[in-house]
Amino acid sequence: MSDAPQEKGPRFHAPLRVGVYVCRCGGNISDVVDVEKVAEMAEKLPDVVVARVHTFMCSDPGQGMIEKDVRELRLNRVIVASCAPSLHETTFRLTVMRAGLNPFLYEHANIREQVSWSHKSTPDEATEKAFRLVAAAVAKARTLQPLEPVRVTAERRVVVIGGGITGLKAAVDLSRRGFGVTLVEKTPFLGGRVARLDKLFPTETPAREVLAELFEKVQNDPSIEVLTLTEVKGISGALGMFDVTLETAPRGVTGPLDDPEKVFSACPVEVDDEFDYGLSKRKAIYMPWKGCAPALPAIDFENCTKCGKCVEAAGGKGIELDGEPVRRTVKAGAVLIATGFDLYDHTREYGHLPNVVTLPQLIRMLDEEGPTGGRLVWNGKEVKRIGFLHCVGSRQVAGIHEPPEGGRLNEYCSRVCCTATLHAAVEVRKRFPDTKVFDFYQDIRTYGRGHEDFYEDASNADVLFFRWRVEDQPVVEEGSSAPLAVRVKDQLSWNEELETDLDLLVLAVGMVPRDNRELLDVLKVPSSSDGFLQEVHPKLRPVETAVPGILLAGTAQSPMDTVECASSAAAAAAKAAAMLWSGYIELEPFIANVDEDKCTGCGDCLAACNYDGALSIVEKEKDGAKVKVAAVNAALCKGCGACVAVCPERAIDINGWTLEQYEAMVEAFVADYDENAEEQK
Amino acid sequence: MTSRTDYDVLIVGGGIAGLQAAIDIGDQGYRVLVVEKEPSIGGKMIALSKVFPTLDCASCICTPRMAEAAHHDNVTIMTYAEVASIERSDGFFSARVIQKPRFVRERNCIGCRKCEYVCPVDVPDEFEGNLGARKAIYIPFTNAIPQVALLDIDNCIRCGRCETVCPADAIEYDQQPEEKTLSFGAVVLTTGYELSPMNTKPEYRGDELVNVLNPLQVERLLAPHGPYGRVLRPSDGKMPESVAYVLCAGSRDKSIGVPYCSRICCMAAIKQAILLSGALPLVDITIFYMDIRAFGKGYEQFYQNAKSMGIEFVKGKVAKINEDDEHNPIVRVEVQEGESRVEERKFDMVVLMQASLPGWCPSGVCAVETSEDGFLTRKAPHSSPALTTMEGVFTAGAAAGPKDIPDTIAEAGSAAMETVLYLRSLGVEPGTESAAQEVSR
Repeated sequence: MSDAPQEKGPRFHAPLRVGVYVCRCGGNISDVVDVEKVAEMAEKLPDVVVARVHTFMCSDPGQGMIEKDVRELRLNRVIVASCAPSLHETTFRLTVMRAGLNPFLYEHANIREQVSWSHKSTPDEATEKAFRLVAAAVAKARTLQPLEPVRVTAERRVVVIGGGITGLKAAVDLSRRGFGVTLVEKTPFLGGRVARLDKLFPTETPAREVLAELFEKVQNDPSIEVLTLTEVKGISGALGMFDVTLETAPRGVTGPLDDPEKVFSACPVEVDDEFDYGLSKRKAIYMPWKGCAPALPAIDFENCTKCGKCVEAAGGKGIELDGEPVRRTVKAGAVLIATGFDLYDHTREYGHLPNVVTLPQLIRMLDEEGPTGGRLVWNGKEVKRIGFLHCVGSRQVAGIHEPPEGGRLNEYCSRVCCTATLHAAVEVRKRFPDTKVFDFYQDIRTYGRGHEDFYEDASNADVLFFRWRVEDQPVVEEGSSAPLAVRVKDQLSWNEELETDLDLLVLAVGMVPRDNRELLDVLKVPSSSDGFLQEVHPKLRPVETAVPGILLAGTAQSPMDTVECASSAAAAAAKAAAMLWSGYIELEPFIANVDEDKCTGCGDCLAACNYDGALSIVEKEKDGAKVKVAAVNAALCKGCGACVAVCPERAIDINGWTLEQYEAMVEAFVADYDENAEEQK
Repeated sequence: MTSRTDYDVLIVGGGIAGLQAAIDIGDQGYRVLVVEKEPSIGGKMIALSKVFPTLDCASCICTPRMAEAAHHDNVTIMTYAEVASIERSDGFFSARVIQKPRFVRERNCIGCRKCEYVCPVDVPDEFEGNLGARKAIYIPFTNAIPQVALLDIDNCIRCGRCETVCPADAIEYDQQPEEKTLSFGAVVLTTGYELSPMNTKPEYRGDELVNVLNPLQVERLLAPHGPYGRVLRPSDGKMPESVAYVLCAGSRDKSIGVPYCSRICCMAAIKQAILLSGALPLVDITIFYMDIRAFGKGYEQFYQNAKSMGIEFVKGKVAKINEDDEHNPIVRVEVQEGESRVEERKFDMVVLMQASLPGWCPSGVCAVETSEDGFLTRKAPHSSPALTTMEGVFTAGAAAGPKDIPDTIAEAGSAAMETVLYLRSLGVEPGTESAAQEVSR
């Protein structure tokens, strides 16, 4: 590989001139490592022309110093010893590029995470390790060749997974930005959980008004393809050129029904209506709400008995009971995951009690279009004393809460429930002035803009607050004089144990990660320890997953309110746009490279390859005869090196990470160095 | 179409929100001008030590963003400049931008700091929360961008030494403000926040008691390159053995006109408590709070870690703060734990977690509306959170209400998207060639 075809340009032929730059990282490194000594010793390494130290190498002055040296000292290899390459390798590649050097003549040594942070108590040894890492980087740099990035055409289409508020907003923004969008929704209807809300805090905007606007934009936009009842079943390719396999389940209803109500009433099957969180019933052929999108009923085939009564009622028109799932493949430059959240299942703790609802259920009850028509009744009786219990399934603590079997504790805060609870509490006091409201909380977390007003309104509306500590969990039991009794040690009343009779208790159930293992396995995106999807870095790359080109937004990432979901959706759309707008993508050139003289075409590499299509065996003309050799597809190869490890001929290498380079690094790392020598060999 | 305006987008405020928006817009091919009122970009974030909940060092995240924006082909940066007016006509914006005099020729200065070394005047260094000193002519801080000196004319004694020593003929004692009128297609307001003054609650005597600090001062004490290089209290240089945090010292308090929650203080206090515990192994830390609002991703776990590290959380309302003869602050607090009681507790140092106030008032400059809380009004928070009440003007970050860094960065991406969509609706397409402007150094 050392005499590979990349050899071009004058710099390669020039004598090696290496610059070494050691960063103090403010003190993060220099408080442990003697950086001056590292630089001093590095300067004696072969071909090293200059070695310098800076407080923040990544800062503008630090980068400026390197640029200046490259120009003035005619450096042709640069090493920075600083933090992990994941943070700043790209930064410094760009620095040397600005100075006119090929960016791949740069090498990075990690002396923060791998040295100063991990060897705090042994500074002398840390300094030696830092120097050895630098020496290894210098050894590698001396064998580096200029490389060119791989440029691939990017598909200007994004597959958005999830038709809730986040997915809808992202789809609209991407389409307006000039991209094609395939919006994939698993259920028969768009709108997600926001469709089941009444008014949104803090503005009191009707939730379904916000949705109606988005539905209209999405449905009337020729650049957005909406696929309901559709799931992602496979993905191949890479950033810029994914092939996404989609499977659409049959809807059962193929065209408008003349009299949908008549058809619904003909259906003999009745099941819990998930739209009302089980507070009402629906038929197996149904529409969840008046303004739903698409405005076409669907058949719930899990419960449908295929009795045919609906077909009869529809006059044989518009219903098809024997549809089959349809698979197709969509080409897309990026994929955006906006799959939302699930609600905490409270039945383990509270399922045995009567007169308990969840906050989302109460919100349905308060909705005039909801199961009670907006009346506050339970089992036919008006609710006169209502309690709200916060943190059900959130902020769980080991030793106090029990994780579900095979599950984990939800240690996180669900973020939206405090404001949502107070929003509902104020609404109850406003509309039902005779109903007394009690609120059982740990901390009131009305953090957002306008949120604190609900806390104040609730206090002014005589909502009675009880503050419990996590170690003194509230006890909820069937009451003697009322259906329920809640006992709390109330911190606001000098820790006295108080008992409150209730007609109805509302559980502010937390958000939990969606149970969509299958999808995540297909996409190969990692989750955080809390089970929500993991971003690459919360501040540097907040909407990207570890898989390039697969983005995330909304509550799939962590609990958020609707305002935050909209921001997150637009931010993810902006990221997709920045990656794809030019129509091409530049990929790192660290890909496999076959030495055709050595390759025997045995195919071992192909068997070891982890990426479909990245390697193939092709026939080539060689000295007049046809021979088989391995060939690399530059766009699909990830440079993992699995092929290198199995090649019996050492005929395959990764550009920028060749075996020769590894050997040079290992030798330099273990070599003997003499601190006092004039020059190190 | 692009040629109709000097830049496609004006971004007011070069903190992390403005820089991220600039990068996200510039990456899509549009030309951006960032106007920052301070002598360096980086905003509040660049002065922080480490950031919650990951405890990354703030410089390590903010510095490369600053450099990326400064080197971006499509991004131009003006520092130490104020936007005097923003007007919209014919669907385009015209803005008057005033370059404040640095008394140093920005083009000439090479950032060698020779002036700084010879200047005989020492004044408190604002970047270090006035805990350290700087010269009357100075580069704002180590990783400032641009690396251009600034002469503090109010403190300059006109000795002329800087002019003599300057190798680049950069000193200009009679420099005047320069005004430019520039045109834009769209505007993004990322004007951030300011902490409420230390005397907001006179009973806490924050402006008088020497060992009562504000959180940004503690950030500097904790920063590895801070004023003392370690955590010492200001009165006598002692390593504090007991530190108290007073949360909501200016927020959630109608009596002083800030009824809202400042959103970042709980987590900032917990973070500082954790960092102080690392820097001062023997320190006892007490946090007085109303509610602990650890709402973000990983925040509650961070709070629980702090509790298990032995940091004491006390629900209580601090009534007043005094000090003893040795400048030890004495906190009088109504403790709402167990039997509620009033206590007086002595600490080596107290930190007041002040409120976040709007960083900028648009009145008289730009016709965007603000809400009762003084922050910019969002026109359509649920569908397009970045929209202000003025067409073509967008916002992100703390300009639209107090916000932590992850939320700010998400909003900056969102504002970038809305801005680009707006430009496209005007028919403005990204420049085909690199629209490189001369970048301020």
